[in-house]
Amino acid sequence: MITTAIITLGVAGFIFSLTLALLSKRLKVEEDPRALKVIEILPGLNCGACGFSGCRAFAEAVVREGQIFNGCLPGGDELNQQISAVIGVTACLQSKSQVVVCRCGAEASEKKVATDYQGLLTCRAAQITGGALDCLYGCLAFGDCLKVCPVSALSLENKKIRVDFSKCIACGKCIQACPRNLFELVPWSKVNDLYWVACNNTEKALKVKKVCSRGCISCTICAKVSESPYYIKNNLSYLDYTKLSSETPLEAAKTKCPTKCIFSAKNPKGA
Amino acid sequence: MTELLLIFISTLLINNFVLSYFLGICPFLGVSGKIESAIGMGLAVTFVMTLATSISWLIYHLILVKFNLLFLQYVIFILVIASLVQMVEMFIRKFSSGLYQALGIYLPLITTNCAILGAALFMVSRNYSFLESVVFGFSGGLGFSLVLLVMAGIRQELEDADVPRVFKGVPLTLITAGLLALIFMGFSGLFSSI
Repeated sequence: MITTAIITLGVAGFIFSLTLALLSKRLKVEEDPRALKVIEILPGLNCGACGFSGCRAFAEAVVREGQIFNGCLPGGDELNQQISAVIGVTACLQSKSQVVVCRCGAEASEKKVATDYQGLLTCRAAQITGGALDCLYGCLAFGDCLKVCPVSALSLENKKIRVDFSKCIACGKCIQACPRNLFELVPWSKVNDLYWVACNNTEKALKVKKVCSRGCISCTICAKVSESPYYIKNNLSYLDYTKLSSETPLEAAKTKCPTKCIFSAKNPKGA
Repeated sequence: MTELLLIFISTLLINNFVLSYFLGICPFLGVSGKIESAIGMGLAVTFVMTLATSISWLIYHLILVKFNLLFLQYVIFILVIASLVQMVEMFIRKFSSGLYQALGIYLPLITTNCAILGAALFMVSRNYSFLESVVFGFSGGLGFSLVLLVMAGIRQELEDADVPRVFKGVPLTLITAGLLALIFMGFSGLFSSI
């Protein structure tokens, strides 16, 4: 019995594998060796920041079209130069020009929570049921964005999201993951440090004060600094990144902000 | 002949693999986003299912029954299905790279599509003859394609529809699938009324 079973299975397996082997020879698909080379040097994160569905799709498109499109963001200039060397074109390179910032800068002690949230520990669930945070705009701090970041640029410190700007590749996955749309792609200019308004609450000052001590109360002080790039819309301060120059009084506005909800970071990547 | 027609109609509509037995739900939800890929997937599954049931029938009756090795049926059936899927994958990759891209991971996943193994096992437990098995496999695959196509059509329309945010995406898809299953339940009265 055992012998017949072994023989049957063995023969069947052999016949099937033989057929497959023959077929795979007959139906071999010629792959462009350059594409394989490109795949090899790509980081393999499959982050999709290039606009293709993954590293493989990107490599195939690069070889097919003979141009590198926007290039590989995580790879940076150096890698893009390598890729263009493989396909034999001189790439017009753009250095990384954007990073993502989180528009909620409140820490655990600053956010008010009136209820004891017992639901699923994900932002998406907490957004639907409510109750995890009094502020309807702020960070729920369950870290949905942490899970999707392909380069682990995000971390959660004291219930506040911290972005490691040197790691961020601006792929935008966190923007989709955050149910409260807190992430924003901002340009970082070569002349200024990075500044951003770390509040997303569009309620009036009184309501903001009730739920968070860090929130923007639309006092307009930042906008009143002379030649200020800040402006108030929907009871919330925004920074107009198109207006930045080396003389822009970014720091002056930041120090004057009464709730300290304007954040800054040293020029990322030190360029 | 009537027997074959009965098997065909009942597998296609009444005992539909997806909406009545709830087999093969993974590709049903995964590939029903676009009509083109749904058609491709349906054809691939139909092809694999027809061949899998016929080859499985031959192996089962000519070898397994003869040598009293019925306990091997699961292994052998899986072997047949896996090889067939590999074959289909090679063919699709060679002759339609667009479809290959569109189907993506769901193509190799036909291997673990329980509808196909289900078809092979049903064919054994129902004691179908060879011809009946072929018709059974073919109509099962066709039923799968039909449901996939209907679902893809509905989902493409729903893309543009203005639905509440809570329902957008997966929840609405699952509700649609449930309603479709309810509708297909209506076919169960088909034969008594004739």
